[in-house]
Amino acid sequence: MTQPSSAIAPASGKPTGDAVQAVQDALAAEHAAVWTHGLVSAFVEEAQQVAEGANAHRARRDATERLLRDVSAQPVPPAPAYLPPAPVTDAPSSIAALVAVEVDACVAWRGVLERTEDPDLRRTALDALTASAVRATRWRKTGGLLPAALVLPGTAVG
Amino acid sequence: MIAESRGPLLSRRRVLLAAASAPLAVACTTPPPAPPPPDPLADLVVQARADAALATAAGATEVAEARTEHARLLQAEVDRARPSGPSSSPAPSSTSAAPPPSSGTPEQVVEALRAAQQAGAELVATAPPYRAGLLGSVVAGCASLVEVLS
Repeated sequence: MTQPSSAIAPASGKPTGDAVQAVQDALAAEHAAVWTHGLVSAFVEEAQQVAEGANAHRARRDATERLLRDVSAQPVPPAPAYLPPAPVTDAPSSIAALVAVEVDACVAWRGVLERTEDPDLRRTALDALTASAVRATRWRKTGGLLPAALVLPGTAVG
Repeated sequence: MIAESRGPLLSRRRVLLAAASAPLAVACTTPPPAPPPPDPLADLVVQARADAALATAAGATEVAEARTEHARLLQAEVDRARPSGPSSSPAPSSTSAAPPPSSGTPEQVVEALRAAQQAGAELVATAPPYRAGLLGSVVAGCASLVEVLS
């Protein structure tokens, strides 16, 4: 297994501030994703798909918090609530909110890729970026949105 | 001590002359540089263009457009890293080098996308920071396209 403690602070031995901040941003995105999956669960028919997404984000959140603690950083706490792109009142607005949190997670994890040279942390970030991109695409398909795929997940244009 | 004994031989003028002409000599003798090592991203450009052609043949328009965009951005990065004109010119010719496939199936497209995802992921670990981000987006984009076809 990879050693999280060496992930942010590889050879040099000292965590670089940029990488830590990028991981904190990614953690904040994971908190938002977990919260939003709870928010939409009443409106989305695809309960299984919501549950899978929620579980994946919870696992990612926990792993990211551990990674930060291992380099003596205080993980950012979740916010009391998050503002979806539009009020969540039905299935389409729920799916839009789910796509939005996945897209945000993609941006945050790409940010980690660009701020660390550590291969293990890069692998973690790539896995998270890829998983969120796939889930965003799945939700866009579910919602009948075209094009379904994100051409460049993690960039502002998506 | 050694410098002391050489003193008369190495006059100040000589040293200055040597210092001034050294870069000139280097500049004159180096013009034929060794060809730079191939950019690993160049292979991904070729792969992206081939995928676009295959996807077009298979009728997967969304994939074709996305992979064309990947090729464009990867080529831009190859050009940025090596701005000297001549090295960037062979790349476009590689488009015509590979004949577009006359037929393709969605299964073949998925297979190609998985291969591209794998190839990109292998480069992420050691790429410079900006490239790592670009590669990450391309890799995740390929996974996203597989999801579209599944």
